[in-house]
Amino acid sequence: MAAWEWVRFVIGGFLLLCGLGIYAIEMIGVYRFRYVLNRMHAAAMGDTLGIGFSIVGLIVMNGVNAASLKLFLVVAFLWFSSPTSSHLIARLEYDTDEERENHYRQVELKDLEMEYKDGEKEEE
Amino acid sequence: MSRQRTQEEYEKTWSFHLKQWADGSRDPFLDRIEMKPKKPFTESQEEKERREGDRERMLSRVYDMNRNVRLREFHRLYQVFAVLFCLILVVMLLTAVSWLPTVGAEDRPVNNEVAARYIESGLQETGAVNIVTGMILDYRAFDTLGESHVLFTATCTVLILLRQDKKRKRKTNDRMYEPKNDVILQTAARVLVPPIIIFGIYVILCGHLGPGGGFSGGAIIGAGLILYLCAFGFEKTERFFTARTYQVMSFCALACYSLSKCYSFYTGANGIESVIPLGTPGAILSSGLIFVLNICVGVVVAGTMYTFYCMFRKGGY
Amino acid sequence: MQILMSLLLGFLLVCAVSVSVSKNLLNSVCIYMSYSLVMSIIWILLESPDLAITEAAVGAGITSILFFVTLKKIHAIVSEDEDLEPEGGIYEGDVPVEGTALAEKNVGKEEAGHEQTANTGRI
Repeated sequence: MAAWEWVRFVIGGFLLLCGLGIYAIEMIGVYRFRYVLNRMHAAAMGDTLGIGFSIVGLIVMNGVNAASLKLFLVVAFLWFSSPTSSHLIARLEYDTDEERENHYRQVELKDLEMEYKDGEKEEE
Repeated sequence: MSRQRTQEEYEKTWSFHLKQWADGSRDPFLDRIEMKPKKPFTESQEEKERREGDRERMLSRVYDMNRNVRLREFHRLYQVFAVLFCLILVVMLLTAVSWLPTVGAEDRPVNNEVAARYIESGLQETGAVNIVTGMILDYRAFDTLGESHVLFTATCTVLILLRQDKKRKRKTNDRMYEPKNDVILQTAARVLVPPIIIFGIYVILCGHLGPGGGFSGGAIIGAGLILYLCAFGFEKTERFFTARTYQVMSFCALACYSLSKCYSFYTGANGIESVIPLGTPGAILSSGLIFVLNICVGVVVAGTMYTFYCMFRKGGY
Repeated sequence: MQILMSLLLGFLLVCAVSVSVSKNLLNSVCIYMSYSLVMSIIWILLESPDLAITEAAVGAGITSILFFVTLKKIHAIVSEDEDLEPEGGIYEGDVPVEGTALAEKNVGKEEAGHEQTANTGRI
């Protein structure tokens, strides 16, 4: 069974490295974007996906036991709490930005229904 | 010799960017998340006079040093005795410290036999699998009692500093810019707060079996309560956690702790043998009093964390 | 393991220095939070899980939250103005050093002006 262990280790390590790469890309995004919502978007997407990949990699390395269940519960907890905080940041930014007209373009959905073309839909 | 560079060239180099980052003039986190716009600090003349005239008003209305002979004599005596008292205290403490052995001396039992004794017979004498918890709450329970008193004193100090009078409550409305009754936050809180509190209780109860203990479990429960408060507001939280709850909770927990371990005041260094059976190591109901003490410490810490947050936000608790 | 430990300790040094050197208070508190997180990892590497749990719960959780609430109360969360550069040392947004009385008076004046703008999503 040594081959199976080795395969599991390689797959787990590959997933872990993917997670690290996602975090690196996210950090570049957080440092280089100019606007708050862009940075928040980069951070939220990068964190969620990065956590998923990294911990799934660890689960694969560990096999099927109680520790893997705890890791899965960690993932579930973080997938609940991280998007909530991103939502709150976005809402706060929308509420307190002083130059809101300059920074963002507000689009109402009901005005866009007239412009529904070829199955392409613009969203806010 | 180094050649001169123009300003535009310099602004493209890496060292300029590093300098900007170090100075804070161009920071990734200096963004537009802002609660209130900044206004320069201005103060009207009468406010300034009111603030600076405090001392004269106190002197003229409370006591006048120039006319009162007894007050002057007392003040003189007070200064002399204060210095004398401090000197006596310093001399006493220094003498007590000078009897202690030097730190890390090789032939002292505290460095050789005490540590070995704790490790070898820790499990047997305390019944706790986690030797650190056994040491904090059994061998050195008296020290932890003092630490709990320190925490209590710190809490009292913070309450004194941050408590606001009722008539000032209207002005500081901190929650003006915050989203109230946010559906997403409330749903997430409904899902997340029960596991947080259950995990905190687990960490407290299994303090003698694994890492954790009273303090970290209490901090976790406090964090769960803070999340509930942020999601649901003050009125809903005060249905089950009021100021009275915190007072009763912390008093009972500290009293319970003190009563269980205060015999060291009378017996000195020779502790009485524990009459509570130790049980089998590895079970939850083992290790005598450590179980009860963990719960007391956890309860105090949870209430304290939540109360600090409330004091900061509301000025009352 | 030695390399990981040295990396983490180096990161700790950088964090500590930049907390002191940074001019924006919000920045400092965020970096302090990451300092606490790295400390928690180092405690695990030094084989003391009790301290790791406590550091994570108290340091990265509670004290950082209390710092943020403190910053909000003293109105020290500033934004970067494009045409304002910090000249020399003194930052324009220094907090009033007086006691809470004067700060709250300022709060009272500013809040009256902002009642109208903060209307979205209120209950």
